[in-house]
Amino acid sequence: MDYYLSQAINGICQGSIYALMAIGYSVVVGVVGLVTFTHGEVIMLGAFASFYTFQLVGNNLIIGVIASFLASAFIGVFVFKICYERFFNAPRHISLICTIGTSMLLRNLAQIIFGPNNKPLLEVVPNRFFGQGVVGLTLVQIIVIATVISLSFLLFLFFNRTRWGIMLRAVSQDKTAAAMMGINVRLTSLLGNSIGCGLGGVAGMLLAIYYQTLVATMGGSAGMKAFSSAVLGGLTNIPSAAAGGLCLGIVENLGITISSASFRDIFAFIFLLLVLIVKPEGFAKKTGVRP
Amino acid sequence: MILEVENLSVNYGHVAALSGISLTVDQGEIVTLIGSNGAGKTSTLMAISGLAEKAGGTVRFKGKDITDLQPHAIARLGICHVPEGRHIFPALSVKENLIAGTVREEKISRQEIVRRMDEVFRLFPRLKERINQGGGSLSGGEQQMLAIARGMMMNPDLMMLDEPSLGLAPIIVEEIFDLILKIKKAGKTILLIEQNAAMALQVADRGYVLVNGRITQQGRGVDLLHNDEVRRAYLGE
Repeated sequence: MDYYLSQAINGICQGSIYALMAIGYSVVVGVVGLVTFTHGEVIMLGAFASFYTFQLVGNNLIIGVIASFLASAFIGVFVFKICYERFFNAPRHISLICTIGTSMLLRNLAQIIFGPNNKPLLEVVPNRFFGQGVVGLTLVQIIVIATVISLSFLLFLFFNRTRWGIMLRAVSQDKTAAAMMGINVRLTSLLGNSIGCGLGGVAGMLLAIYYQTLVATMGGSAGMKAFSSAVLGGLTNIPSAAAGGLCLGIVENLGITISSASFRDIFAFIFLLLVLIVKPEGFAKKTGVRP
Repeated sequence: MILEVENLSVNYGHVAALSGISLTVDQGEIVTLIGSNGAGKTSTLMAISGLAEKAGGTVRFKGKDITDLQPHAIARLGICHVPEGRHIFPALSVKENLIAGTVREEKISRQEIVRRMDEVFRLFPRLKERINQGGGSLSGGEQQMLAIARGMMMNPDLMMLDEPSLGLAPIIVEEIFDLILKIKKAGKTILLIEQNAAMALQVADRGYVLVNGRITQQGRGVDLLHNDEVRRAYLGE
């Protein structure tokens, strides 16, 4: 029983990283209005940005968060310029395929520049344990969960309490009407895309700290997890995407408890399939639409 | 003259939606464009607000050439386009929809937003009751009111209303036309498109009749209302 409980705690912690990736993903998809497959690489680059920052200035978590956010937000600008800016009025699959190509480019560039091997990222957070027996939290887990919660809270405030937030949400709901209000749709989409990518970058840093390792190809599975979590939440609904990520993490970790750790992804994606079969719209309830 | 449109043409593919129309709107006027389906009324407004690509012609607003400006830049100059089909933000609350109308002015104060909101709620008390409800959960008539109210929050110099009475109950249509007159009294200039030609010509100072992308008649609203050709074509007599 203790073992299951501690696995559930691991699941919550891992799920909260997925949640942050999915929040970023939902922001991108919501504001830009086009699905992206570059998110995994954005996450990976955020992890590497924090890795080199830690080497440069020492293990300062706050500077790491800022560095990974800024680096990934910058990559977001790059992705926006290449994959979206010229294709807003084109069929959707063009920018979608463009994001797939960009993701391959970034991943292979990363393998050339950063090297193909796993890099260790040890002792960023001292190895401390709070709890009794096997049930308890490590300091890393506390930091991960706290970071995710505080970033989500900041994002919530930004989206719901500021005029920029209203502009971002207006653009995500109706680009034509937003332009009629005098909102610069292109600039606002660019900002939203960068915020979403920045959050993905921070998630990448948390992944690297949590697993104490990072590698140039980590984006593949991370991007798929982000995508799955966001799909669970209905793609553009931010709180539901976060819930989707949390569920995915918990299901994965409980799944490997009853089988083997190599089946991790099987549980995640079977769970996704089941949810989509039973409830194709995901967890999200369409708000504000008359039946 | 607040708005001058000269020789405006719009093509959709090979189809000419507008072939060289010219019209003017003076400060404080209500001008209406009438015409049957597909005559080019909506295309005219879309071209003025930059949402449809212009094949030719010029548009001047307050003396400034706005022909090649982006839609958001045109809106920022003070042209408000209340589009056909309302285009409210369904997942923003009524209040947030109204605030979205003020974003064109970057330095607007909180008091000014509250003042404008009070003004809008005086005209649309129904919206005040639903202030925290999602825009998409309103009824069709309420959504139309919200679209107009959002336009008024922009405090525009020119309001372009595209079919404000579309799909509304007759009693609400009358409310909407009363409101258009009230907006005029508040000193705004209005360019109005209507299927409901009789109503539109009654409130309008001047009108233009659009047929197949060309202006065939123009004149004072009352004159057009009594014009035989217009009566036959649009008023069913």
